[in-house]
Formats: sequence, C-alpha cells, structure tokens
Amino acid sequence: MATISLSEPDAAHAAPPHARAVRLPTQWLGVAPFFLFAIFFLIAPTAYLILGAFQTPEGTFTLGNLAELWQPTIRAAYWISIKVSFASAVIGALVGLAIAVAIVRGGLPRWVRGATMTFSGVASNFAGVPLAFAFLATLGRLGLVTILLRDIFGFNLYATGFNILSFSGLTLTYLYFQIPLMVVIITPAIDGLKKEWGEAAATLGATQWQYWRMVVIPVLWPSFLGTVILLFANAFGAIATAYALTGSSLNIVPILLYAQIRGDVLHNAHLGYAIAFGMIFITGMANVFYIWFRTRSERWLK
Amino acid sequence: MTETYLSIQGVQKSFGSTTVVRDFNLDVGRGEFISFLGPSGCGKTTMLRMVAGFEEPSAGKIFVGGKDVTNLKPNQRKVGMVFQAYALFPNLTVAQNIAFGLRVAGTPKAESAQRVQEMLKLISLPHLGDRYPYQLSGGQQQRVALARALAPKPRLLLLDEPLSALDAKVRVSLREEIRSIQKELGITTIFVTHDQEEALSISDRIVVMNNGRADQAGTPFEIYNRPATRFVANFVGTLNVLEARILDAEAGSVDVAGQTLALHRDLAPKRNGDTISLALRPEAVSLGRTGERTGALDATIADVHFLGSVIRVRTKVGDSTVSLDTFNDPTMPPPVSGAPAELAFAPRDLMVLAD
Amino acid sequence: MKSGKFWAWLTFGLGAAYFIIPLLATLEFAMRMRRGTYSFDAFAVVFGDPRFQQTFGYSVMAAIFTILLGVLIVVPTAYWIRLRMPHIRPIVEFVTLLPLVIPAIVIVFGYIRMYGSNSPLPFLASARGTDALLVIGYAILALPYMYRAVDTGLRTIDVRTLTEAAQILGAGWATIITRLILPNVLIAVLSGAFLTFAIVIGEFTMASLLNRPAFGPYLQNIGANRAYEPAALAVITFAVTWGCMSVIQMLARFAPKSANRPD
Repeated sequence: MATISLSEPDAAHAAPPHARAVRLPTQWLGVAPFFLFAIFFLIAPTAYLILGAFQTPEGTFTLGNLAELWQPTIRAAYWISIKVSFASAVIGALVGLAIAVAIVRGGLPRWVRGATMTFSGVASNFAGVPLAFAFLATLGRLGLVTILLRDIFGFNLYATGFNILSFSGLTLTYLYFQIPLMVVIITPAIDGLKKEWGEAAATLGATQWQYWRMVVIPVLWPSFLGTVILLFANAFGAIATAYALTGSSLNIVPILLYAQIRGDVLHNAHLGYAIAFGMIFITGMANVFYIWFRTRSERWLK
Repeated sequence: MTETYLSIQGVQKSFGSTTVVRDFNLDVGRGEFISFLGPSGCGKTTMLRMVAGFEEPSAGKIFVGGKDVTNLKPNQRKVGMVFQAYALFPNLTVAQNIAFGLRVAGTPKAESAQRVQEMLKLISLPHLGDRYPYQLSGGQQQRVALARALAPKPRLLLLDEPLSALDAKVRVSLREEIRSIQKELGITTIFVTHDQEEALSISDRIVVMNNGRADQAGTPFEIYNRPATRFVANFVGTLNVLEARILDAEAGSVDVAGQTLALHRDLAPKRNGDTISLALRPEAVSLGRTGERTGALDATIADVHFLGSVIRVRTKVGDSTVSLDTFNDPTMPPPVSGAPAELAFAPRDLMVLAD
Repeated sequence: MKSGKFWAWLTFGLGAAYFIIPLLATLEFAMRMRRGTYSFDAFAVVFGDPRFQQTFGYSVMAAIFTILLGVLIVVPTAYWIRLRMPHIRPIVEFVTLLPLVIPAIVIVFGYIRMYGSNSPLPFLASARGTDALLVIGYAILALPYMYRAVDTGLRTIDVRTLTEAAQILGAGWATIITRLILPNVLIAVLSGAFLTFAIVIGEFTMASLLNRPAFGPYLQNIGANRAYEPAALAVITFAVTWGCMSVIQMLARFAPKSANRPD
C-alpha cells in the first residue's frame, strides 16, 4: 500500500494532464478480458433476445409478442413454472433452515454437521437428468418406495392421485437440490447468530419465542429472503430434470422454450424471444424486489 | 456488611468427570460490588453463569433476597448481564436495545421511552438513541449494554469480563464509570475478571478463585496485604518468595539461605526443621534499614532497570530472587549490579504462605 | 435443552431419510436388471456401451477446457480488482451473479440466434466452433462459483503486500501472477475447478440445444429408451459428483486458515 499510495499522487501532480488520461485505460486493461467476455457471451445474447421480444419479424417495434404470451398454453406454462419454483423454493428454504438450525444449534455431535455439509454440497449439485432417474426409481410406478408402500403397508400411492409427472412430483424432486442449497447458504448465517444474544435476551426476561421474533428472525430475514429468491430462480430456469422426468407432458416454461428452439413449435421466432424475456423478467423482478427490500428495511446492515 | 442479599451455598458444578466449581460458599450484602478474580479456567465464569441461570449447579443452592432461585430459568431471575463481546442486538437501535427488557415485560410505551432516556443520560450518551450498534465504538457499545442490562431494574448485575475487549485507556475510564453507576443505583453486582488491577480498583470485596475453589474472599486491602494462600499471593500483585527452614518454631526464628531471621511470631503447628515459604511485596523492601524496617538480609544486586521515577532492582538471596523498587534520587548514584546490598523490611510484612 | 436435542435429531433424521432413500432406491432399481436376483448387469451394460465412453469422454474434455477458460478469465480479474480497482468490485460481482438469474436456456438461445452461420462471428458454422461456444457457455454457467472461490482464496492472502514485495524484488507481472498469486490461490482455484467439473459433466440444456454429443443428452436419450440403465447412470453420476465434492472438502483442509485481510 505504502509505496503505491506514495508514488501515485506525486505522478498525478507532476505529470501534465494528458499523461493522466493515458494512465486510466491501462488500469482498465486489466479487467478488459473479463468485461469483453461477459458482454459477448452473457449480456449481448440476452439483450438480443430482449430486443427481439419487442420487434416484429420485419424489425419494427411491437408489444404484440408480449401480448401473445397471454394465450392459454403459454399462460398455463408460466403459471405451473411459477408454482413449482415458488413451492420448491419456499418449502426448500424452510426445511433447509430447520436442518441448518438443527445441526448448528441443536447440540448434535460434530460429525453430524460435517456429514450434512458435505452431503449438501453434493446434493445441491446433483440436479438434471440423473436426479430424474433417481426419483423415477424411487417414486415411479415401479419405484422402490411405491412398491414397498404397496407390499408392506397395502398403500397404493398412485391411487391417491399422486403422480411423479405432476406438480407435486416435480416439486418433491426439485427439493432434492433446493434443500441442500439452502443448507449450504444459510448455515454461515446461523453461525453468525451469537450465543450471547440469546443469553442477553434471556437475562432481560425474554422467552425463547420473543427472542426469535424480535432478534433471530429479523437478523436472518435478509439472508433467508435472498436465498429463497435464489432458489426460485434456480428452479425456474431448470429444465433437464423436468424434461427427463416428464418428457414434454408437463408443460413448464423452459420445456416450452426448449421445444420452440428445437422446432419453432409456436411458428413465430419472436414469440420465442418473448418467452425468454418473460423468464428473465420474472427472475429479474424477484431480485429487484429483494434489493428494494434490503435497502429499505435493513439500515442496520453495514 | 449489610443484610445478605445473594447467598451461594455449597455450590458445585461438574461437566462429566471434570469438576469446574467445588464447594463454593459466599454471602453478598445488598449493594455490594464483588469481583470473582482468577486465571482462565478457574471456574469464575461458570459460577457467574450459575447465578444467571445458564448452568445448573450439580449440588448446592443459590438464594436471592431470601428466595431459592436455583431452579429458576434465566428469564425468570431478573438479573442484568453484560458480556465481554457486548452482545447488542444488531437489528435494533441503541434505544430499542435498551428498551428490550421493558418491551418483553409489556411496559407501556411512554414509561419505557422515559426509562430509556434516563438510561441514556446515565451512560452519558443521550444523543445516540437512534444509532445502530455497528455505528458505535467498543466502549460506547459496552455502555449501551450496561444500560440495557440495568433498564428493567434487575435485582443483580452480572458483568462477565466486560472490559476485556476494550483498549487500555477506555478500559480504565469505563471501569470507573461502571463503579460510579453501580454506587449511584446501589445495585448488587458481581464482576468477573482475570485482571487483578481491575478487581483491586473497583471491588468492595474480591473472591480469588483457583481451580474451581474460592481461595480467599476479602477486601482488596486484605487480599493484597494478607493473601491467605500461596496462589492468592502470587496471582495478586508481584511477590518475592523465599524458602526458609524453621530453627525455632515457638520463637519464630528461621534460616534463609544461611542467614537467621526473627519473625517474632509462633509458627505452630509447623515444627523445627520444617520448610516454609515466606513472601514479601517489592514495596515492602528497601535497600538499607530505615525506621520500622529492622529485619535484614544480605543480598547481591543481580540487575538494575531504570524506569524513570522508579528504579527496579533485582537481588539474589542464595538461590531466591528478591525484587524491589526504589525511588530515583538524582543526588545518589544508582545501585550497581554485582554490588552487595542489605535488604531491609519490617518483620510483620513477611507473610508466611499456606500451601 | 433435552427436548431441543430431540427435535434436532428428528429434523436431521427426517432430512437424512428424504435424501438417502432415493439413493438406495436408485441403486436397488439399477440392480434389478436380471430377473429374480440382484446383479450389476445394468452397470456392465452401461460401461460397455461405446456411446457412454464417447459422450463421457467428450464431457470430460469440455469440463477441462471450461476450467482452463474460467481460470484464465477469473484469476487475473479477481486479482486486479483486489489490487487496483476495488471500486468496481460491485459491478464485477453483479456480472458474475447474473448467470444465477438468467437461465441457461435463455443464454444458449441467445447464442443460437447471435452466432449462427450467417453472423459476423459464425461459431455455429463448424463443429469445432460449436464446441468452443459450448465451452464458453459452460464457463458462463460456472462463473458465479469460480469467481467466488477465487475471490475468497485471494482474501486469505494479503494481495497488495505480496505484490509489492515481488515488485521490489524486480518481478514482472507475468511472474507475479504465475509464480506468486496462482500458487497461493491454487487450492481455491482447484475447488472452483472441481465444482465446475460437477456442473459441466451432466449438463443437458446447452449441449442438447447446440447438438453436441455430450454426456447429458446421452443420459436423457437412455432415460427415454431404457429401463434399468438410467438408474445405473444416476448412481454413476452421483458417485462422480460425490468424488468432486470430496476433493473440494479435502482441498479446503489444506487452504490457508489465517485471514490476513488487507482491507
């Protein structure tokens, strides 16, 4: 620090203005590869689709593509996607939180925490096609749990209307990577809850519930909400699991978009852009909400 | 001492097979300021946590105001506690932190707001009510923690190493502030510390703990000048220890490194030929006899450290080292290492240490 | 206290059941191939399938190139940000988090439209070009994880002091990055690398839409046409993921513990 901060202002004062102008881009050269990479392969392709969503095939501006999203098939696809993502995010977050609290604060042996964290690291990355296979082998018509329930308890799972190729089946499957992801992210936040806060609250006469309501929940809330939104986006964009599980029988948005990309099933390329735009819009709005909430209510955060 | 307010009777605490507090007895008067002093791991914090209700004694009872509180939960005990790491709630403002105890007790808003103002004034931070903890310095945070503990008018104030996380200057000023607030409110207080200077400077009485046991309880003056055990003598202040062999137990004459000393006291039940440990504070020793300092030992000056107004001299008596401080007198040449010296002291300042 | 422990065990137990039963069920299902007895026939069939070997090999290569590309992009950037441009860190962090918000299918859709054979950058005109685009897409998907891993690694060493010490000794930038920074964040980079590997190896969406013969589309294809092999493949994939995560855990043990933070 010392040598740089000592030499830099001197150079700035001594050198004529144009020398300074030369300095600036060399600084930026260091990060140029990163920004070029991001612009070419992340931002531009996304922007291309977003612009396309507002254009007719002839290139004039239109809101027609967005309006067409309102047709029943597409609307239904968005709705089921939102439902599955929301349910798996919220349930995953709550269950993940419960598990994290249990392993951090539950007084369980040390190895339980270590094992849970390692396993969560694995399971949160065990998504996609193989996960679908695993759940078909578990809860499919010939799955182990389905058969055991039938043979031992005489309980026919599929007679209850359950279907692994449905909203509830997909949600249950998504939880397999959502819960561990929550555990991985929220455990450090729970570690950050100081034991003394609970003791201070107790000496001040607070019950366990009052302590949770007035301190723990407000303190954890930003991380919790942030993770829920991450989980939501995680599920909303996921396609491999659902596609391998249900083929195209469950019409969630990514599968619809997938079919559109492969074969222009909607007979309108720009409607495909609009669907993509809709997906970014929804995950983007979730994040905007989160940022708004955080800046508004968390003045105590540094 | 006034009437007993807090009474700890025969308390013991074990975790598995290790006993961390054994047979602890203490009566604390109303409004008294008591320090638990000892090295880390001596059981002082565990004892404090049993008074707070965070740990359950394995045996014994704790009474507050004549009532048995041994089995009460921490949130039913009406104690205020201040922690080493401040432990302010980060999501609440200073005012909300102070009001926390009042809020959970359902105190009306106006009354609670007034009490918060009183408390802010008490800790001299009247304008910081709307700040969040992260915006305060360590010393300010600890004052807020103190106010938070005091706001619900607790029956006891428990301070668990509250100054250890602060830097030296703040530590001294805050300890004086704590003492003056405590006196103003007249609240019975237990203060846990490993810092003997802290304990000596603010306590009414000190309990020196060692290995789960209370070695001695007494005023700072007693603890310092008449330590009951060798541990207390060593832990509190600097101490010179001399090994001595008893020549005549009844007359109190002993042999120290081949020199005979008269202690003018009965050393029973020790017998002739037993060895004992004698202790002397550095400030009780001088070079050359003066006034009451009639006891004397011949020594050799080992080294001399010039500290400005004071000169610290280390001398050798046989194999033992005796340190002493002399004032710097510009008209006199300083002592020289290797020179012989006569150590003088009042015989009654020689402490006989129990083992 | 006692009841709290009970609830903790119960929560942990239920969670463990939910996560372990599907694994056992998958293994059991995979071993059902030979009628009336358990066998490893499904695994034998899978391992003997030349398409398994080809697609798995393809995905391993893709993963290796993705890791190289990721390291090349992320390490100099993260280092430069820490050293010289801490003020643009929020922007960079925001960009690295975008792939968590923009679904992979949207990104690859954009590629298909932007880099077709008629565009100025015709990646999709040749097989090699498409392979390259796939690797680039994977590097984008792995960006959030790679950046975070490397940035955390850099935080534990005092980048500035190390760099200045090297400069005083006369080292150039190439030397500083390859001889000083990289070895010091090697463990962090490796964690990021294995995470990337786990993400890439079974990836379906991008590979399928770019029509590359990768492991993910192969899995999907087997799933649609076979009974027992998919379960065996799921077990194998889980084992690969587990292997990657165990390596990361082991690496974490060697990572420098002291957080000597410059800021």
